Amino acid sequence: MTIRDLTRRDFLKTTGAITAAAALGGLPTDLFASGPRMATFPEKRELILMTSRPPQLETPMHIFKELITPNDALFVRWHLANIPTYVDMKEWRLKIGGNVEKELQLSMDDLKGYEKISYTAVIQCAGNSRSFFEPRVAGGQWGHGAMGNVTWTGVRLKDIMQKAGIKAGSVDLAFNGLDSAPLPKVPDFVKSLPVDKALEDDIMVAFEMNGKPLTMLNGFPARLIVPGWYATYWVKSLSDITVTTKVFEEFWMKPAYRIPDNDCGCVPPGATPKKTVPINKMTTRSFVINPSDGTTLSKGKLIELMGIAFSGGHSIRDVIVSVDGGKTWGEAKLGQDKGKYSWIQWFYPWKPEMTGSYTIMCRATNAIGDSQAIEKLWNPAGYLLNSVEKITITIS
Amino acid sequence: MKQILMIAAIIIVMTAGLASSGPGDSIKSIDLPDVKTVLADGPGKDTSEKFCNLCHSLDYITMQPRFSRVQWTGTVNKMIKTFGAPISDEDAKVIINYLATAYGNGK
Repeated sequence: MTIRDLTRRDFLKTTGAITAAAALGGLPTDLFASGPRMATFPEKRELILMTSRPPQLETPMHIFKELITPNDALFVRWHLANIPTYVDMKEWRLKIGGNVEKELQLSMDDLKGYEKISYTAVIQCAGNSRSFFEPRVAGGQWGHGAMGNVTWTGVRLKDIMQKAGIKAGSVDLAFNGLDSAPLPKVPDFVKSLPVDKALEDDIMVAFEMNGKPLTMLNGFPARLIVPGWYATYWVKSLSDITVTTKVFEEFWMKPAYRIPDNDCGCVPPGATPKKTVPINKMTTRSFVINPSDGTTLSKGKLIELMGIAFSGGHSIRDVIVSVDGGKTWGEAKLGQDKGKYSWIQWFYPWKPEMTGSYTIMCRATNAIGDSQAIEKLWNPAGYLLNSVEKITITIS
Repeated sequence: MKQILMIAAIIIVMTAGLASSGPGDSIKSIDLPDVKTVLADGPGKDTSEKFCNLCHSLDYITMQPRFSRVQWTGTVNKMIKTFGAPISDEDAKVIINYLATAYGNGK
């Protein structure tokens, strides 16, 4: 699709919605109530458009029928309007500095000189599913598609930092990328991890997704991978790693991306948390992917109910499925295990013998017993949502 | 057959080698599409478009749920105080009024 087509079509969709709403005598809550607004960005297929500047694109749920999310279908989320659209690899360097023995400036060739590692890991935006909060909260109004399951290849951050030599008294590692702010006072997007976390074996500086170089919108040429943790830490188009001697508390670490400091990371709806901590590990989640919500299927035919489950770096122990709105549950069969950071597919063959409306639900439990509540949690920023998901289908 | 494949493979490798050393091949660039979002009509629309567009596209507004005047006031103040948007008190009032009317929940 050409740029002109995209603009024209979006314009038509938008004005169409406004016209329709005007005819009904009010303005729409959601200008795109007739269906999500779609857009095609470079190296991406048509995805759900959240925002265009900076780009925020969501993956449609049907894509998650695949165990691995294709590169051109993976969601996109940037914070600052000036995103990298041009990188000269002759110039690009990953700079390591701060409280280190030896500062480094690594070219891509230098980076590829370290031992290569690869694993499959769920990447999920901290704000994934925010639009399902009740009451609603401000922020990116994602459905469930700000996630994906990707095989990442790169090198261990630990190995790089060993070369640089972290000096005594170090507290955090701060990660900065090539994106920059549109106005001088807008805080640059910099994220940090405590030294101990950053030096875990599995923290990766990745330069490939699914065997190909990173797409520009997913962080070319290299990004941080913090498997099991929300993608806010997975800094894209990584350019600088700085070792600090104090807790790093710039805007995107504090007050942004914080959760209530309690077991559930939640507060009563509308309440303000007394104390917060930086968001970290992902909660356990599962979804029904097939059939899709609202589908009509035939009585007496076998349906392969299918979905996915994952948690913050712990394997999924089991997934249970209900086809009667939670009255009874049966255990699903789990698919190929691609490791503790990957999602796993679940399958539940089911032959409905009676016509009517069915509510299908799934609930995952991970290796350490974390599961999903029926009731939705709430916090002011719209994070951690992991209540049991349900879809409704009709059997005719 | 094996030999032919081998020669073909060597040629491909050589060509790839040449290509990557050619001028400009170290560069990756993309062109972002120009997506337009049309805001609802109402007093203050132009002022809102002008200032909000400084830092982000207007779909940041249209994607939000309908908020109360208090919530929109909080959002606009955050843009000014936290993100340094150069919006005068007078313009802020116009923008808040526009958002609370065109994208408000009546509260």
